[in-house]
Amino acid sequence: MSPLKDTLGVTREPPTPRSFSRAYWEATREKRLILQYDRRSGRYQFFPRATSIYNGHRDLEWREVSGRGEVFSYTIAYRARPPFQGHEPFAIGLVTLDEGVNVMGNIVHCTRDQLKIGLRVKPFWMPLANGAHLLMFEPD
Amino acid sequence: MALRDAAIVGYAETKIVEKSDRDVWELGAEILESLLERTGFEKAEIDGLILSSSMTGAGNCFWSQTTADQLALDVDFCQTVDIGGCSPLGGGARAAAAIDAGLCRTVLCLFADTQAAENNQRMRSFHNEWTTPLGYIGPPAAFGLLSRRYEHQFGLDYAALGRLAVAQRGHAVLNELAVEKLRKPITVDDYLTSRMIADPIRLLDSVMVCDGASGVLVTARKSAEKRGLTKIVVPIGYGERTNYRAGEAIVDVTESGHGVAGQRAFLQAGLAPKDVAAFHPYDDFIIAIMLQLEMLGFCKRGQGCQFIREHDFAHTGDLPLNTGGGQISAGQCGLAGGGTNLVEAVRQLFGEGGKRQVKNTGNALVTGIGGIPYGRNWASSVVMILTPNA
Repeated sequence: MSPLKDTLGVTREPPTPRSFSRAYWEATREKRLILQYDRRSGRYQFFPRATSIYNGHRDLEWREVSGRGEVFSYTIAYRARPPFQGHEPFAIGLVTLDEGVNVMGNIVHCTRDQLKIGLRVKPFWMPLANGAHLLMFEPD
Repeated sequence: MALRDAAIVGYAETKIVEKSDRDVWELGAEILESLLERTGFEKAEIDGLILSSSMTGAGNCFWSQTTADQLALDVDFCQTVDIGGCSPLGGGARAAAAIDAGLCRTVLCLFADTQAAENNQRMRSFHNEWTTPLGYIGPPAAFGLLSRRYEHQFGLDYAALGRLAVAQRGHAVLNELAVEKLRKPITVDDYLTSRMIADPIRLLDSVMVCDGASGVLVTARKSAEKRGLTKIVVPIGYGERTNYRAGEAIVDVTESGHGVAGQRAFLQAGLAPKDVAAFHPYDDFIIAIMLQLEMLGFCKRGQGCQFIREHDFAHTGDLPLNTGGGQISAGQCGLAGGGTNLVEAVRQLFGEGGKRQVKNTGNALVTGIGGIPYGRNWASSVVMILTPNA
């Protein structure tokens, strides 16, 4: 089995934020993870949306979280499109943050044997060309 | 009930090819002509047009209107259904509803896409921000996450999944319209050793994007009977669900909207899973077939692999599965691919299955899967139960 690659050398195009996700990307400039928190239901949501997924109201605020959590599931990409082509195999995880949302991210600094559902992970921030950062995860 | 008052009076399908050198509207014209010739309807009698989503048509926000123009159809009802792979079945249900509401009388449901030759889609969704920067290639990655989670919760017997792949491939070998590249038998071992795409998703788990078109002609059952049409198929149950558990931040990815959609369809049809004579599920990945067996109630959740080991899915077996090969072995005609399994079900119920004709033509259950959301299951689930005219 080939060892997992980190894809840290792959230059990603910085995403274009939407009006309701701008704050998220702004916070990543300082490697801070913020999530939308719905004040009415007392719950977090991800990815950022223009409305509460719980009740259709917009009583949302941004709250900073640790980004720690555990692997909910993962897949190992053996085929990729440019600019990832040639950097396979690499891991994409679906991570349950301690705040109760599922977030996808590359899992880096992790061996194939280490990678398991339930593995505790913490954020690793990869710099993007525009000064923002991409959220990744590494073993905690 | 509205649904039962409608009838599918004809089906048509083009050869599925890896890359079409014919325009998507030429494929549409072939379907139109074939339906007119098979049913005896005149073009002027078609007063409704429903299109499925189409990667080729996706750049055109006037897709149904311009297609009506290109095919010279003068209609009272014209629309595109855009719930991804659910669009063909969803289109059939909407045709029945439109006829019942008196909006039109006879609807051409046309499913045409040349995604391999001309893909005009531009996703305006979560991808640009939340998945593309991860090297996430969409459906295979999503089904990789789903499969790994299923394995964690219930255990997964890959050899059992391989049996589904083998059965469908056997059917594609018998289907002259299936893409030629895939008309070679495979073994469970071929499946297990096929290369990884998005571990644990293998090459032989996955559909191959192709080009092609299919379609059905839907009219009021009474009119069909009045015309003396003997081969007609009636939709007796339909369920549809988009964004199952949309209001939850963490969902069980092994559960789909087919649970609720299936319950509704079975209730309307007055049937239970044990009564299903042939199963034509939407197959973008092999595991989706197993999950649908579970969600539709053929077996309990987590027992899909055991169910597969206990049944024979060949056209001669006790639960014939996608007897045209399914999309995985016949080729996926882009977003029109949901029409492939629908048309095969109608063909079988007409008794026109040829070398792969099933014995029991009492009914057929067809499903759709459409769209892949972020970190969840799939976006749309539809279920339709069809019977020949009773």
